[in-house]
Amino acid sequence: MKSKSKSTFFIVALITAALLYVALFGLHIGGLNIKGANEMRFGIDIRGGVEATYTPKDLDRAPTEDELASARTIIETRMDAKRITDREITTDKTDGSIIVRFPWKSDEADFDAQKAISELGETALLTFRDPDGNVVLEGTDVKKSYASLDEQGVTYNVILELTDTGKQKFADATGRLIGKNISIYMDENEIESATVQDQITGGIARITNQKDVATAKALADKINSGSLPFSMIANDANIISADLGTGALAVMVRAGELAFILVCLFMLLYYRLPGFVACIALVLQVVGQLLALSVPQFTLTLPGIAGVILSIGMGVDANVIVSERIKEELNSGKTLRSSITAGFHRAFSSVFDGNITVMIVSIVLIIFGSGSMLSFGYTLLCGVLMNFVAGVTASRLMISSLSEYKGLQKPWLFGARRLA
Amino acid sequence: MKVIDFYKRRYIYFAISICIILAGVICAFTEGIKLDINFQGGAVLKYTFVGTIDTDDAANIVEETIGRTTTCQEQTTMNKDEKMLVVNLANKESLTSQQQEAVTDALAKAYPEAKIEFATSLSVQPFTGARFFRNGIIAILLSFALILVYVGFRFKNIGGFSAATMAIVALFHDAFVVTATFIIFRIPLNDSFIAAILTIIGFSINDTIVIYDRIRENKLLLGKKTPTEDLVNLSITQSMTRSINTNIAVFMSITIVFIFAQIYNIETIKDFALPMMFGTISGCYSTICIAGPLWTMWKNHQAKAKLKKAQG
Repeated sequence: MKSKSKSTFFIVALITAALLYVALFGLHIGGLNIKGANEMRFGIDIRGGVEATYTPKDLDRAPTEDELASARTIIETRMDAKRITDREITTDKTDGSIIVRFPWKSDEADFDAQKAISELGETALLTFRDPDGNVVLEGTDVKKSYASLDEQGVTYNVILELTDTGKQKFADATGRLIGKNISIYMDENEIESATVQDQITGGIARITNQKDVATAKALADKINSGSLPFSMIANDANIISADLGTGALAVMVRAGELAFILVCLFMLLYYRLPGFVACIALVLQVVGQLLALSVPQFTLTLPGIAGVILSIGMGVDANVIVSERIKEELNSGKTLRSSITAGFHRAFSSVFDGNITVMIVSIVLIIFGSGSMLSFGYTLLCGVLMNFVAGVTASRLMISSLSEYKGLQKPWLFGARRLA
Repeated sequence: MKVIDFYKRRYIYFAISICIILAGVICAFTEGIKLDINFQGGAVLKYTFVGTIDTDDAANIVEETIGRTTTCQEQTTMNKDEKMLVVNLANKESLTSQQQEAVTDALAKAYPEAKIEFATSLSVQPFTGARFFRNGIIAILLSFALILVYVGFRFKNIGGFSAATMAIVALFHDAFVVTATFIIFRIPLNDSFIAAILTIIGFSINDTIVIYDRIRENKLLLGKKTPTEDLVNLSITQSMTRSINTNIAVFMSITIVFIFAQIYNIETIKDFALPMMFGTISGCYSTICIAGPLWTMWKNHQAKAKLKKAQG
């Protein structure tokens, strides 16, 4: 029993070291793929990037849900064409806006973000072209487009209802192009190509054999975008160049490391053995926070870093409270073992209430906050949870374990004023 | 251990706090509160350049291009060879990316030698900014309400509601001090303001709870008959080393961040770290010198009222 408890410290320390390694460098074994700190997702305020909120231009009513879906499709298709794959697009149905976020494109030195924002919102030019590239039909010729199941209920089709002029144009084109292809272009990007089976005179065109309902829906949205009655404009936009962002991050990481080392030195010199344990517990807490960010690839922003700072402060506090309490108990003449037990017991209620209160604040921020406040709330919540794991549980396991060693049972190692 | 009588000197502390808050209020009236465009709407564009650019001249070029009143400023950057041209658009309207492109083109054309390069821009519509600000305030007030309920419930044995109310008073105190720092140092209120306030609220409530916890524990140990001021003075004195050490650690960390931001000239971090430094001190001070004594006054007042009632 005793020897088991003696080894606990090393087990906790080893786990911390292992997790530290994973948090810094990631772990990629077989199907297990944990991303490390170097692959962390940073917000555009840190690594540079673009955040733009698009709203319809010159539209005196709120856009319908379908129109918004089409507008989103236009933006997505264009981002694909620009090879901006790492992106976040959210649609806000209540005020009819589309929020686009993407990091600065590092592989293009002269990436023009202002121009990119303008281009993403322009009205889409949708054309149907014959194999020679002649335009046979335009987006405005399509009344509406939607996905549907075929009569057998097996495959999905995209149905195009054409306007009267469209009907005529399409009848001419399909008559001429039987057995050949008609391709659909958004701007200059081909989005679909289909072979003409028969002449279509009824004003209803079908693109058959879509893979699934989602593909069919996406194509229908793209085709609808050609008849969208408005363009999108970004009045709310934030562009941060990559130099500005990453430079700031490197400096902050260095400041954070220095602060962490100084805090550890302070704890070590002032509280000795419990201070040493506190250092390991703090490493464990920071590691936990890094993993909580990198594993689900949660975006870390500057306010998010503020949340990390606050929770590390809380972590230091938990360790300070415990160490102070152990010292007090020792000074009141108790034995080392009962001092440690009583110290943790007494300290727990205040650490518990302090952390639960901060947890309440963080949950409010996650629910009601948007953007920067959400990020702050998330890192804070993870930090507070880690505080219970590291600052309370891990610290107690480590101190109890170390106090089993004869050589470490000296009260001065715990900062006591006189021998117990 | 010598028990320090915090309660006796309470009016000195109250006076200090009122002075600081008043200084903030006076500054707010004389200098005005600077809301950043995150909250009130507007647009700002930043360009890096080398050599020299006459800022008035640049402002004229922008005004001619988009027809809006403009002021330009020069800023230093992390890179010593480069400078930053800050283009501020007057009135609180946003600027579309199309207009921004026009500004960029016009400036690049006007100063071909300066290697003008677009760095950063922020454009916010007034109503978006107002909504963001409102959401922030709602989140803060809702947090206060929930803290009130939780602390009231957990600290029932030291008169839950009164203790919780005083904790909130201390939080308002700290929020005011942080805001005053922003106003006095002419830092515009933006999203780092919200983050700073929230962080300080977190630290401060934790500080207050640690002291309350000690009061709660001592009340059980010493019994109900101990006068409230003795109870509070003893509890604060006992937790003094902890209060100082924790706050040294936090203050030191924030100061390092501030110094780094100052050396490398990182505006966003500087604007966040400086108010945090003041907030940390305020959070510790408000617990010991405001929440504790105020709560004692409330309790003493309650006891007196009860006595009067009993006497008829």
